[in-house]
Amino acid sequence: MLAAALALAYAAVTSATQPDLARVQDPIPYPTVFWMVPQLLPSPEVVFGGNASGGARAGLRWQVTPLLYSFGLNRKITPWRFLVVDPLARQNGSVEIYFSPEYIAAGGAQPDALVARTGVRSYFPILARGESLSVSLGSSVFLYEGRAGAAFEGGVYTLSGILGLQLTYSPSNLPAEWIATFRVRYF
Amino acid sequence: MRRTSPSSVALLALSLAAVGCRPFASSMSLLFRTPEEVPHKITQPVRADARLAVLWVGHATALVQIDDKVFLTDPVFTNTVGQLSKRVVEPGIRVEDVPPLDVVLISHMHYDHLSLESLRMLGPRIHRLVVPEGGLTYVPDGPYADVELPRWSAFEEDGLRVTAVPVRHVGFRYGADSAWMRHSYTGYVVEYHGITVYFGGDTGYEPKNFEATAARFPHIDLALLPIGPIEPRAFMAPSHEDPGEALLAFAALKARWMVPIHFATFVNSTDALGDAKAALERGMLARGLTAEQVRILAIGEQHVFVAR
Repeated sequence: MLAAALALAYAAVTSATQPDLARVQDPIPYPTVFWMVPQLLPSPEVVFGGNASGGARAGLRWQVTPLLYSFGLNRKITPWRFLVVDPLARQNGSVEIYFSPEYIAAGGAQPDALVARTGVRSYFPILARGESLSVSLGSSVFLYEGRAGAAFEGGVYTLSGILGLQLTYSPSNLPAEWIATFRVRYF
Repeated sequence: MRRTSPSSVALLALSLAAVGCRPFASSMSLLFRTPEEVPHKITQPVRADARLAVLWVGHATALVQIDDKVFLTDPVFTNTVGQLSKRVVEPGIRVEDVPPLDVVLISHMHYDHLSLESLRMLGPRIHRLVVPEGGLTYVPDGPYADVELPRWSAFEEDGLRVTAVPVRHVGFRYGADSAWMRHSYTGYVVEYHGITVYFGGDTGYEPKNFEATAARFPHIDLALLPIGPIEPRAFMAPSHEDPGEALLAFAALKARWMVPIHFATFVNSTDALGDAKAALERGMLARGLTAEQVRILAIGEQHVFVAR
């Protein structure tokens, strides 16, 4: 009796997970050394603060995408990406949750600082499915020298998203009110 | 499946999936030149007097007519590929003059073969898009039906049969995706009304692939075969035939006619403009092949191989 129940349950599960023949077998992106090395490269940035901040300072920003949903892919392809995101999936329209550690160098009266930032960003294609030109909008929360704050950002990207320019505005963070990031990203 | 060495993957990534800038000063001027004009472009490419006709649009893009069916290979109509590789001759037909296409074949994922912007430009003119296994990963939805064809599988519609056949190349688009995009490259054989056309896409010289294709398709009428890029040879050879190898492939396929493709259109190697054609002509002379057997078309030129 138990065996029959298990068999029925197994049949129910396996029949429910039979591949849909109309759906293609997705090549699934996954972390490799070739992917990981470029992720270590930071994007340089320039940080502008309020009057007391001592002017522009240099910074570095890394980025990780734990989860992305693409609305620009073929409907037969899974729209979800984890960590490894192919450029088309990102630049042709997507929403991602991202995490960005940042380092901001000392300058004027400000000491150097580590910033932990997480947020949500959407990409929209402009030219050639976003491979030639795309833009992004996003918002984030961050921790800067133990203080939490919020930020808004916009970006523009080219060369399949490898190069881009992001502008981040943090009204509550006077020492790093504006950040211009020259984004370098490969996957 | 051919494995790609890490060094070649790295080099290809640097050149944005095999599309890069020529490093030599003699070639640099091409990067800043307006694409050469194609005079007297054909505006009505579908011919009532043709059973088999080919119009070379440039690079791997060829418009093929078999009776009432028309298909286009690897359409690229943009002025650059991957934003870096410059077109040196404009496309051989205006996009607005491209007729309704029964099938568009995509051989692999590189920017000079899968041009998403060109697919957008052609839009609803395309009835059916055929891509290699895994290829839809990089083909967003469009106003056309799409299908993936794993190697040796076939798709047939209204008597037009397309079979994916083996070639030697790589399946990735961006470089880092070489780990999982391992199968997305192919050649095709198209059959209709007793006429058979082979499209090699982009391939290194691998005799067994051509022999296997010839064994399954013993009456290939026309072979569209890539003849470049040639140099640097050590880098190109695993995935690109040179003109001499293309002639060997033509022989292995036992095809009746050959049209060379994939040369003299984009800046994508250290070859000088004209190198591939000159090497092909030398090879033809050495092998006793005539200009009728190996038809070297100019970009924008159409040739009727089988008349009604």
